[in-house]
Order: sequence, then C-alpha cells, then structure tokens
Amino acid sequence: MIDQLWQPFIEFTFMRRALLGGLLLAVSAAPLGVFLMLRRMSLIGDAIAHGILPGAALGFWLAGLSLVAMSLGGLLAGLAVAGFSALVSRRTGLREDASLAAIYPISLASGVLLLGLAGKRLDLLGLLFGSALAVDAETLRAILWVTLGSLAVFAAIYRALLLDSLDPLFLRRVSRYGPITHGLFLGLVVLNLVVGFQAIGALMMVGLMMLPAAAARFWSRRLLNLIAIAALIGMASVWAGLLLSYYASLSSGPSIVVMAGGAYLFSVMCGPVHGLFRRRYLSIPQ
Amino acid sequence: MGRTFRMILCDQLQWGAAGCPLTPPLDLELPKGSLTAVIGSNGCGKSSFLKVIAGLQRPLSGRISVSAPRFGGIGYLVQQQAIDRQFPIDLRELVSAGFWGQRLDAGQRRQRLEQVLFEWQLDGLEARPLQALSGGELQRALLARASLMQASLLLLDEADAALDDTGQTLFWRHIHDWVRTGRTLVVVSHDLGRVRQEIGQCLVIDRLGCRYGPSGSLIGEAAYCQVA
Repeated sequence: MIDQLWQPFIEFTFMRRALLGGLLLAVSAAPLGVFLMLRRMSLIGDAIAHGILPGAALGFWLAGLSLVAMSLGGLLAGLAVAGFSALVSRRTGLREDASLAAIYPISLASGVLLLGLAGKRLDLLGLLFGSALAVDAETLRAILWVTLGSLAVFAAIYRALLLDSLDPLFLRRVSRYGPITHGLFLGLVVLNLVVGFQAIGALMMVGLMMLPAAAARFWSRRLLNLIAIAALIGMASVWAGLLLSYYASLSSGPSIVVMAGGAYLFSVMCGPVHGLFRRRYLSIPQ
Repeated sequence: MGRTFRMILCDQLQWGAAGCPLTPPLDLELPKGSLTAVIGSNGCGKSSFLKVIAGLQRPLSGRISVSAPRFGGIGYLVQQQAIDRQFPIDLRELVSAGFWGQRLDAGQRRQRLEQVLFEWQLDGLEARPLQALSGGELQRALLARASLMQASLLLLDEADAALDDTGQTLFWRHIHDWVRTGRTLVVVSHDLGRVRQEIGQCLVIDRLGCRYGPSGSLIGEAAYCQVA
C-alpha cells in the first residue's frame, strides 16, 4: 500500500519528470500567490493566464508546435496584458481589476480567432489545461531555470515588495523602487504562468498559485511561514494529484488542482487562524 | 534668508482639484528647524497642502521647493491610514521599516529600535500582529517609524487624532524633541487649544486667503470669527 505512493514515480520516467516539474512550480508559485492575495490581486493571475493565449497562438502560427516560440509568444502577450492594464489604471484611474477584466476577454477572443486562422486546430484544451505527463527533459530544464530565477528575483525585491503591498505611500517617500518592484513582481507572475502552461496548463497553474496561498492564510499570521506553508501545500497537492491522475486515469492538471482545492477546503474549516470550526472566527474582514 | 536656512518655499502656490483652487495664491517661506501648525475648517485643503509639500500631488499653479532629499528626506504621516490590518506582520516589522536606506549594523538597529519602542510606550507589543493593535497603538507605531527615519522634514496630518491623553503627551513631547534635533515640522491638527499652547507659528488655510503668523493671535481670531 505504502509502495503505491512511490511506485509510479520510480517506475516511469514521465511520472518522475511530472513530479519534479510540479514540485518546482509549486515552490516557485507559492510566494507569488501569497503576495497576490495580500495585494488583493488574487484574480489577476486568472486574467493573465487567459491573456497568454493569443501570444502562444501566434507563436504556434509562425513556428508550428515549437515550445520556445509558443512560450515566448505567451510571455510577450502576458506581459503586454499586465503592462497595458497597469498603464490604463495608472493613467486613467480605472481600477486595476476592471482594467484587466476588460483586456483579457479581448486577448482570449483574439487568441481563439488566431488559432482558427492558423487552420490546424491546436488543442485549445491542452493549452489551457496542459498535461503534466508531457513534460520532457527540455521543459523540465526550463521549469528549473524559471524557478531558480524567480526565487532569486523574489528574494531581491522581497523587502520593497512587502512595503509596497502594505504601505505604498511610505515606500514612495523613502525609495524610488516602488514601481520597478511592482513591475518585476507582475513579470514573475507572468513568467511562472507561462512556464506552467507547458506542464499543467495556464488555467491550472493559476490554481496551483492561488489555492495553496489562500489555504496557508488559515494556518499562520507570519508572512514567511505563510510562504513556506503555501509551498508545502502546493508540493503535497502535486504529488497527490499525480497519483490520483495515475491510478484513476484522469487528466493530471485538474487532478493536482482538485487536491489543492481539497487542502483549501480543509484549511477553511479546520485552520487555527479564523477557521470555520474555531471559536474566534472573523466574520468581517478587517 | 539664505538658501541653506530655508526648508519650504511657496511662490504663488495654488492647489486643489483641477480648475478649482482651494485658496488664493500662497507665498510662504518656512526656515529649517521651524515648527508650524496648519489649521482650518474641514475641506479647506490642509491635507492636500501636505500632499503638495510631500510631492504626492502636483500644485495647480505656482512653485514649491523643498530642501530635503527626494527619498527618505520627508517623513509623511497621512490622516487616515489605509493599512491592511490582516497583513501578516508584527509591530516590530512595521516600525523597522523606518530604517530604510540607513547603514546600521544589526546591533545598532536593535538598540535604536528598542529605544524608540520604549519612547513611544510600545515596549512589550513588539510581537503583536497588526490585527491585535488598537487604533492608537497603530498610530504610535507609525510615529515610532517616523522617529527612526532620518527625515529632515516631518509632515504630520492629524497624527494626534487617535491618541489618548498619555499618547497626546508623548506626541507633543516628541514634537519638541524633533524640533530640538533640527528637524522641520509641519503639523495639521484640530486641537486648537493644544496648538496655541505648544506651537508658536501657524498657517490658517482659508478660501478667502491664507494667513501665517503667531498662533496666539491667529487662533484667537479664528475662534472669534466662528462666534460671529
């Protein structure tokens, strides 16, 4: 019985790669998810993930089923969506969520149209939901580099990002790095979503980013603990999700996210920090 | 007055929403190390004036120059703190942000932090999460953060409003300490009695024209106007 928890990963290379890729993505996405939540930008990942589509489609149109071309296209489209909506909200005062909500359907629709123009129908579902079992050595290497790079950048901007999220006015008074920090942070979110769309799909990557972060909120009041807990929950979900997908012959991305969803529901109910079953619940967010 | 002694210079300055300035053009010169109160009725433009000084809002017309470094030179405490109380950090981390950009080793930081927490009667609350702080405690924490900064100009917008009697006493004692160490202060307050007692010079902001002078005479006049 215990063996069955490890056996698929020992026996099959593709399972091992999927596990390794998923664990790396979970670690890399956890701090980003926590900060998106703290900045009340939890839904932005979702919008950006949709926004990636036309870029990936354009890459597919120009270069065929090339991983590099599609990732590059996705990255550019994602950055354009995030950047344009930030520009609109900074210059016109439109709230950032409204601005993103306005641009991502444009992006998604044009992506679907581009795919139609391309003639051959690229598997749209595959792009949005991905397949962890298709992670090859090249993708795995890309995931590893993105994880290392994004953890390094995150560590470098951590203090400024913390202040920019808590008290942006104060940061603006003591440092010139506020806007750069904001931009780098959004860039990291886009980068992780793009590299994640290879492995578990752009939409599922949003789940792996946000669900562990939201779940962690019920376990600690300290920021660094939150990040660590989110990473652990994400890693456990990847592992359990891959087993579920292997034994029940289910699609891997959704299996992982369903597991993360289970962890979230459990945390909402039993978590010690304002969980539902605790006496001291907090009904009004303060 | 030489440039080196001047902190703030307003030259025909007007501010407010686009197209409707709140006051006639203001000429004002505040020397370094001065302590000035800004008073006036609600909506007269006191907070906007501080924002213009802090460089967070553009003036409508005229010029303002502030002789403090652009970053870290101005400490600014806004009127209504929009700090998210659920943010998962504790009081120590909030106050320590005042060290931004200063080169101190860990020992110096710890010593300085302990001293400031003691001065604002926050010792013992270091490990409290923001959520567990009262409004007055949070306000004192933000004042403590301002104490840690090396700012030569401090702009305090009704920073005394949330404080109890003890807090008020601490607040005014610090105001005088800050002035004594050479900082320039501009303080918005509605506590006219206290302002008259503690602050020598004040600026009354009024849509008919701003007046700058000794608080003793200006505040008496304002009170008289309200009666009439």
